[in-house]
Amino acid sequence: MTTVLKTEDLRKQFGELTAVDGVSIEIDDSEITSIIGPNGAGKTTFYNLLTGVLQPTDGAIWLQSGTGGGDLVEITDAEPHEVAQAGLSRSYQITNIFEGLTVRENVRVARISHEKTRLDFRSRATGDESLEADIEELLELTGLTDIADTPCDTLSHGEKRTVEIALALAIEPNVFLMDEPTAGMNPTEVTEIVSLIRELDEDLDATFVVTEHNMDVVTDISDRIVVLAEGSILAEGTPGDVLTDERVTEAYLGSDSV
Amino acid sequence: MSATTDTGDRIREFGAAVTDGWTRERFGLLGALGLVLLAFGPSFQVYLFTDFLVVALFALGFNLLYGYTGLLSFGHGLFYAGGAYGIAIVLRDLGPVFADVVGSGISPLVTFVVGGVVGLALVVVVAVPVGWLSVRLEEIYFALITLAFGMLGYSLIIQDPAGLTNGTDGIIVLLGSVDVGGSSFRISARRTYYALTVVVVLAATYGVWRVVNSPFGTVCKAIRESPDRASALGIDVRHHRWMTFILSAAVVGIAGVLRAGLASVASPGLTHWSTSAIAVIATVIGGATYFSGPIVGAFVFLYIRWGISRFPTLEAYWELFFGALLIAVVLYFKQGTVGGLLLLRDRLLGDDDASADGDRRSGGGEASGSTDDTRPDGGDTS
Repeated sequence: MTTVLKTEDLRKQFGELTAVDGVSIEIDDSEITSIIGPNGAGKTTFYNLLTGVLQPTDGAIWLQSGTGGGDLVEITDAEPHEVAQAGLSRSYQITNIFEGLTVRENVRVARISHEKTRLDFRSRATGDESLEADIEELLELTGLTDIADTPCDTLSHGEKRTVEIALALAIEPNVFLMDEPTAGMNPTEVTEIVSLIRELDEDLDATFVVTEHNMDVVTDISDRIVVLAEGSILAEGTPGDVLTDERVTEAYLGSDSV
Repeated sequence: MSATTDTGDRIREFGAAVTDGWTRERFGLLGALGLVLLAFGPSFQVYLFTDFLVVALFALGFNLLYGYTGLLSFGHGLFYAGGAYGIAIVLRDLGPVFADVVGSGISPLVTFVVGGVVGLALVVVVAVPVGWLSVRLEEIYFALITLAFGMLGYSLIIQDPAGLTNGTDGIIVLLGSVDVGGSSFRISARRTYYALTVVVVLAATYGVWRVVNSPFGTVCKAIRESPDRASALGIDVRHHRWMTFILSAAVVGIAGVLRAGLASVASPGLTHWSTSAIAVIATVIGGATYFSGPIVGAFVFLYIRWGISRFPTLEAYWELFFGALLIAVVLYFKQGTVGGLLLLRDRLLGDDDASADGDRRSGGGEASGSTDDTRPDGGDTS
């Protein structure tokens, strides 16, 4: 039981609108936490605050430094690349990968960033054997070996979503925020990605935090669920507790039915 | 010791590759032979080809920022002029000093080399702050701020507040003659200057090729594809763009140094936006998504212009021809001339080795031109 990510009274105001309103959570490294909520509940804004894309109006964010029991360091005002370097990685709801590059090149970029060799303009990008071995290992782990040299703009949607995950993992994060990993997937692809997430959670040190619309997926993978509604936490607890909570069903049925 | 065996191995490997068939090495050897033979061609053709090489390097440096990093600069003329004025001022003000120090025989060569280095240094000194400010902006705003910096340079050169640039007339560049051991040659003689340009441009091109294939260049391509994804992976996008900006300006600066010697003058027009546009046009015509795009584009640009100039009645309208050509390329050949040629080759040879080409950077240009591939503007979805 170690807290790897913590927010305190996090708030984000866009003019009159309070998109995130005083959210305090603690993410534990022994659990997969799901953050759910109806559309417009503030999930993506919350992620954008955590990853430094947006600056919070108020509140603070801490992240564990280094895997395995480092101290919590404050990342409230850090820029996105600093947050990533500190060990917080994310995948996007709308696929955001390097479309013009091959799968292998995508992962190579992330590894170059992680190894801090991005300013090396003299050696060959493909010349570092240990880097290539790391890439190979990660491709294997995520099941992308067969399509490693395919340009990403020719991949299927499900494959692109997997590249999205491989990219986020390539920087060896402490905490991995997944924004709707099954968005737009067909049922077969959903089954595949869910089993991949389970495998990865077991194999890797990273702590997984997931937002998801698909309730079957949520109940399947989560140890703990946090429900956001109108920017604040409505309920949290184990899937059994939360999903039988009347306020939760009301929030969902009230705005959009699932 | 190991270095010598390495070199020996490389030479043996190269030899094997040349005898092996139509390999890259054999084409390289033929290209080198062509460059040597060209030096014995008609004087004007030598000049035209030298001109092409300089513009090619100009566009190649520009494309490091545009095609590879996704930033469209409309002010690279500033760095083209920076290189030219750097060497011109050294030649004018320090030429006599060098003649005293190293002797008049070799001094033109020494002055030329020092002037080139000064030109390059001047460009870097200018590019550091200009780039730092420019990379704060993206897309059209980046294009506009670089345009503004270019025109700022233009008016500074014309106003000449420091008395260095000689206003609208520019500075005459006289390279002089080298006298060594009784034999003498003029650096600015067409064939001599051609040989010098070939060596410098080839070396610089190789340098750029190394950069785009390095970890640095790989990160550039990622930033072009999606800047916010790159920063979410821990890449300081702004810093990386800044470094690319400086590198790109430096390459353009080398081209500017060569331009001054070729034209025998450093003139304010070099930093005018219409000069910056030459790099843009050459790159678009050639194909920004290919390493060789700007080079091929510069070739097409200069040789079509030369072709038109052979017909005096048409010459007055040569810009009209370019307008039409540009429209055709933008509408029907988004991948430019190189993309069109590769497409043609694939059609002729069958589609199989389409992805085997090392020069290709992206999966664009498959079977039909209709697949949308506006790569350099970035695939940013948000």
